[in-house]
Amino acid sequence: MAASIAFDQTALAVDRAERTAIPWYIWLSVIGVTSAMIGGHWDISWHRSIGRDTFWTAPHLAIQLCGIIAGITCGYLILATTFGNSSLRAASVGVLGFRAPIGAFITAWGGFTMIVSAPFDDWWHSAYGLDVKILSPPHVVLAIGMFGVEIGTLVLVASLMNRASGARRRMLLALFLYVAAMILVAAFTIIMEYTGRVMLHSAASYRAVCLLAPITIAMAPRATGDRWAATKLTGIYTVFLLALEWILPLFPAQPKLGPVLREVTHLIPNGFPLLVIVPAFVLDLIRPRIDRLPNWQHALIAGTVFFAIFLAAQWPFATFLNSPAAANAFFGSGYLEYFISPQSNQALYRFVQFEKTPAAFRNGLLIALACAIGASWIGLARGDWLRRVRR
Amino acid sequence: MSAVKRLVAAALLLAGLAFAHVGSLDVYFQGNAGPYRVLVAIRPPDVIPGIARIEVRALDPGIDRIELTPTPMTGEASKHPPTADAAQRSAADPRYFEGKLWLMSTGAWEVHVRAFGSKGEGELPVPVSAVAIRTRPMQKGVGYFLFGMMLFLSVGFVAIVGAAVRESKLEPGAPPVASKARVFGWMGFTAAILIAALWFGKIWWAGDASDYARKIYKPLEAVPTVNASQMDLRLSDPGWLEMRRLDDLVPDHGHLMHLFLVRFPSLDQFAHLHPEQTSPGFFTTTLPAMPAGHYRIYADIVHESGLAETAVGNVDLPDVSGGRLGEDDAFSKIPDPDSAIEWARDPSQPITAKQAALFSFRLKNNDAIEPYMGMAGHAEFMKADGTVFAHIHPSGSVAMASMTIASPEAMMAMHQTPGQLVSFPFGLPSPGHYRVFVQIKHGGKIDTGAFDFDVQ
Repeated sequence: MAASIAFDQTALAVDRAERTAIPWYIWLSVIGVTSAMIGGHWDISWHRSIGRDTFWTAPHLAIQLCGIIAGITCGYLILATTFGNSSLRAASVGVLGFRAPIGAFITAWGGFTMIVSAPFDDWWHSAYGLDVKILSPPHVVLAIGMFGVEIGTLVLVASLMNRASGARRRMLLALFLYVAAMILVAAFTIIMEYTGRVMLHSAASYRAVCLLAPITIAMAPRATGDRWAATKLTGIYTVFLLALEWILPLFPAQPKLGPVLREVTHLIPNGFPLLVIVPAFVLDLIRPRIDRLPNWQHALIAGTVFFAIFLAAQWPFATFLNSPAAANAFFGSGYLEYFISPQSNQALYRFVQFEKTPAAFRNGLLIALACAIGASWIGLARGDWLRRVRR
Repeated sequence: MSAVKRLVAAALLLAGLAFAHVGSLDVYFQGNAGPYRVLVAIRPPDVIPGIARIEVRALDPGIDRIELTPTPMTGEASKHPPTADAAQRSAADPRYFEGKLWLMSTGAWEVHVRAFGSKGEGELPVPVSAVAIRTRPMQKGVGYFLFGMMLFLSVGFVAIVGAAVRESKLEPGAPPVASKARVFGWMGFTAAILIAALWFGKIWWAGDASDYARKIYKPLEAVPTVNASQMDLRLSDPGWLEMRRLDDLVPDHGHLMHLFLVRFPSLDQFAHLHPEQTSPGFFTTTLPAMPAGHYRIYADIVHESGLAETAVGNVDLPDVSGGRLGEDDAFSKIPDPDSAIEWARDPSQPITAKQAALFSFRLKNNDAIEPYMGMAGHAEFMKADGTVFAHIHPSGSVAMASMTIASPEAMMAMHQTPGQLVSFPFGLPSPGHYRVFVQIKHGGKIDTGAFDFDVQ
């Protein structure tokens, strides 16, 4: 009985504290996530337009700002919850003797991982030279940290959203979908080398997208219960990418590394967004029919639908995107990096024949389908957990 | 020792032995940037892509500003330079400028030094070879920090998963209900995934390191066969990048190869020969009358891309009776009592490693200095332990063939009537005891003088 009264009182205390506005640490974490995503795309654009950099370029600082904000914010939250008189203590979990919301631990972990990647990357450049690729071990450590911050922020928002109602819940829902969209932006940044316009008629491109995108697209509706969650989050992704596509070229830039094979006068953006909003919309449409199925059946249908609709939408659009007709400021296919030769696929609007045989292409698409189903199942399972997280 | 480490160690050893000059990567070059004489030192990076440091000293007054631009020496990319970088002018020494440039790919590059000042502007292209020569090891402090953080983050990750299973779905204030077996089960599963991920990362890292080790420069080996007074030389490629060929050599002041034989370790016999190519990678030459001994072989060649290399080898010679030498060939016993060359040196000025300096020589007699293969002289710097060998001209350490490819106009400007003093711009790469062999033609003969000195 005494335990029950104590439980009611702490629950009331938490409830009173949480009826107020969105906590400051949520806003700071969301700002950190946004900073990393803008910084990431800005940095890639920088390398495509200017080429040379140091650790102290603005895009690098924007990326690392995410780790610093996340590390300090959630580090403080952990210390305040553990040692202070925080109302969050009742809604906390214990990790290695410290107490805080689980999302704070994940975010802080991600922040520290991001910060650790900096000296690792610096040494990597001094040992093996400047890497001219996205996927290198130090960059993957940075990306894991970035995902940690994003997932931690998502969990922080989810734990509050699951205990909130009314306008506050609606605000937290919007933040949840925004952070989920940023996770999609980060995932697509990692596979950018496979999703350029010249790659979009290869199975490798669809395999990469199907490996990652369905996780977030299946997770968000399950976690939020929102009828159009998938459409909204892919919409945010699309708008975010379009904004970058249209804003980056407004800034002047000149190549500072040779060889310079073509004149560049402004920042080169990173490409038109992928049309994942189309399968996301279709999935939102059919979800009422499949949402009560066991997860494996749901994933089987959702993964197949995602794969088929995405392929049906992106393939013909890629034909247009990889043509001179799309070489304008809206679609951006005419923007070419300073190191692109006149004989390159990009310059000639020619698709890369990534798979050397029809059998390899067919097998690649089958693997993409399997990836979409598997990723959907993972997304649903993560969504189930996020829907129930309370601390 | 792993295969990767062995490969890296072998590459390090070989890279230390030879490149365009043996044991010395830095480029020293004296020339005219339009109306201004400048002395340029380029210190290439030891990893590619990497940052080269460029030092420019104005030998004439009037330069206000120096701009630096790197381009590959040949190919389409050579026509499309990036935006120039301004070199920083020293506040203490207004004639000294310093800058940094990225060299992005392996091969022959040139740095365009553009000078602006009271006499107008002018440009001097300076060839530089960009090759990876080593993998820099991780500093101990950084290694301990990263390893510690890896452990901390790994333990933290497993603990977070445990907390998520145990408490994350509980209402605020509710006591934990999850069974310990379930919590530890998830933590164990997570730990297994983490270990697998770290193992994958280790394999990936080793793969990248191995790929990089293959790009580390490996010098050509000069493999000799001696028959009486005839020496055949085969250039053997130990395996480097596919870009290196042996059928693309270009003459460097009239000869495809400049071969130096130095008796080691006494450094008391010195030959500068010019073998003829019989087929790609195969050369032959007549030896002078040489005493028996162990000789070091240094063979300078230049590829059509402008990339200069020194093939290295060893040969044990019997007493050689000697044959008829070519017009530009020279052989000398060291010291040569008949040598008229003297070093115009201020003994109070110490010679410091890595510092660009002018090594100046003159004749003790009144002979006029005659061009020797188009140059006022040739100097070969050799460290007593054989780890450094550099063939230098009055213009500097750049092979003339590379200079011709970079800028025929600038090359023509370098062919001048010799004066009374022959100066060689160079910087020794490391402290130690050195001998410089100086070759100047006068009275119709090639005179070889040798001088010992210490570098601090």
